Amino acid sequence: MGNLLLFVVLHTPGVVFRQIAEGNTRIIGSVQKLTFLLILLPPVFSFIGSTLFGWRLGAADPLYFDSTARVIISFFYADALILGYISTALIARWMSKTYGGGKVPTASLFAFFTVVLAPICIASAAHIFPHIFFNVLVLIPTIIWSMTLLYRGLPVVMNIPPERGMLMSSSLVGWLLVAFVSLLGLSAALWTYGIGPSIGV
Amino acid sequence: MISDGREIYHDGVVKRLIQFSIIWAVVGMVVGVWLAAQLIWPGLDFGQFWLTFGRIRPLHTNGIIFGFGVSALMATAFYSVQRTSNVPLFMPRLAWICCYGWQVLVLLGGISLLAGWTSTKEYAELEWPFDIVITILWVCFAVVFFGTIATRRIRSIYVSNWFYGALIIVIAMLHIVNNLALPVSINKSYSLFPGAQDAIVQWWYGHNAVGFLLTGGFLGMLYYFLPKQSGQPIWSYRLSVISFWAFTYTYIWAGPHHLHYNSIPEWVQSLAMVMSLILLAPSWATMINGIMTVSKAWRKLSVDPALKFIVLALAFYGLATFEGPMMAIRSVNIVSHFTDWTIGHVHSGALGWNAMITYGTFYYMVPHMMGRELYSVRLANIHFWLALAGTMLYILAMWGAGVSQGLLWLSIDDIGELSYSFNDVMAAMVPYYALRLVAGLIFLAGTVLMAYNLFRTMYGRHTVAVSPPLIIDELQGTVYKEEPREPSSGNAQEVPA
Repeated sequence: MGNLLLFVVLHTPGVVFRQIAEGNTRIIGSVQKLTFLLILLPPVFSFIGSTLFGWRLGAADPLYFDSTARVIISFFYADALILGYISTALIARWMSKTYGGGKVPTASLFAFFTVVLAPICIASAAHIFPHIFFNVLVLIPTIIWSMTLLYRGLPVVMNIPPERGMLMSSSLVGWLLVAFVSLLGLSAALWTYGIGPSIGV
Repeated sequence: MISDGREIYHDGVVKRLIQFSIIWAVVGMVVGVWLAAQLIWPGLDFGQFWLTFGRIRPLHTNGIIFGFGVSALMATAFYSVQRTSNVPLFMPRLAWICCYGWQVLVLLGGISLLAGWTSTKEYAELEWPFDIVITILWVCFAVVFFGTIATRRIRSIYVSNWFYGALIIVIAMLHIVNNLALPVSINKSYSLFPGAQDAIVQWWYGHNAVGFLLTGGFLGMLYYFLPKQSGQPIWSYRLSVISFWAFTYTYIWAGPHHLHYNSIPEWVQSLAMVMSLILLAPSWATMINGIMTVSKAWRKLSVDPALKFIVLALAFYGLATFEGPMMAIRSVNIVSHFTDWTIGHVHSGALGWNAMITYGTFYYMVPHMMGRELYSVRLANIHFWLALAGTMLYILAMWGAGVSQGLLWLSIDDIGELSYSFNDVMAAMVPYYALRLVAGLIFLAGTVLMAYNLFRTMYGRHTVAVSPPLIIDELQGTVYKEEPREPSSGNAQEVPA
């Protein structure tokens, strides 16, 4: 059932958006169950990749970490994803009044963002070979796919005109960009304090 | 100008400045793309000293900042100050001198950079003869702008003029102080400040040039053209004024964050870091003000490319003004400094904020001034998606490159030696630089489309003569409809500011 639903989410997201908008509790519940699986994929793939191949930043020798560092990095990665997922759904709920959205149940918003997140989580399989440029190449089209889902689906789920949906989606993209940059900055700060790769500071 | 007993706004000089700005945008971006290609294929200098990276890089930055950026700022300042003051430009001939003088300066300055004349100060590379000319032309700009405000018929000074005014005053101060130098020949001078003090003065200039020219000046553009284009008043005028003063007070302290872990006192670095973090508040106040203003004009989004550019510019403004303070944190900066992360950050501002807000503004101004519809809305929409794709690809490529560089440069082996040489690291960057080249080409293609679209819109037409409208309620500072002096096919009427 879960695999089939995942296929439906990726293949015909429009159908899922309409079901969510109509408050179909069965679909919403099923999509929510997928969330846990999907959100764990990137840190798990990252852990496997850094164990098997090390981080490949382009230079000759890959960077290998001990098992404790790998666990800590994956743990922080999972935390960041969960925090990003929850905060994005809550921010969307907070923004909905500004953009004329009705009172959409929080469960529906969580289900919607699971659909949006799905392509990125699946494509995170690229982390198994953690060459940064390879990952950039794989994730750029996937991010575009997820953004398309966001722009298409948000007006449907929020029941607002497409133009307002575009504005609200752009605001959420702004938030996600800021969140991503924060993640980069936080990572750099953690490396400086000795968590993660060993750097000479 | 007074014709037939009626005053008319001086929009001819505005039109000419827009044309120059577009030309410099294309030239500056072509040079930028060439630079991106040189980082992959260094042989693209063809063995010519004047085509080496070190000479054409300042040509790119000066062409974009002073050619494209300042021309656009002069154009929009002259356009908006007349309408918000309800009078034609003060000393319009001086405005024309300003317009042509500035273009000659950028052209000759660019040639001097190719010839190897340089003060070596970033964004202030032009040598002392040019610095003197800049000062004179800037004073002309100030006379026209403040003269118009001084002769205004509306008592209150609209917030966009506060930002343009700050741009003129602060840039004058920064330019003069940073370029204090002892000339030893026509093409060489030496700074009056020694060593680390020179570095602090330079980055006081450099950061505040970013602050008051690339941020403050363009915020002036935003505060005038966003309400015009959206047909909505600013969401909170009070917030705009508060954020102006907070912005002005805070920005000026933040420069030394460019010198983290350098030979300047640590407390100076810490102060800059703290002020950089505080700067987030006024920056985001402006962003929220803009987003809330445009959120009421959502119906126009599907048909109005100019508004799309302005919305996108706001999103990238939010990103860049968040990323900047974050990168000013010392523990983040130790990884990000001297890497392409910084280049990505600069371009999220330059492409995403400065270029987009200017494009949106030009798409608004040109049809209004020419009194005709935009030549092709479809081309403008294609331009929008090219600009978005180019900017995103550029930023992502530079994030990838920057984080890799930060980690590789700081990696040490078991005996504490650096794991990778500079050459190793740079050789590993080629794929990212190729992505950046593609991104630059996409963005440039969009800009060329805009140039074609706007020049076709302007082709064979003079600006529509517009008279200052009748002020009905001067005490409230309300501006009513501008009446086109002669009938035209286009829409020269404007919504209340």
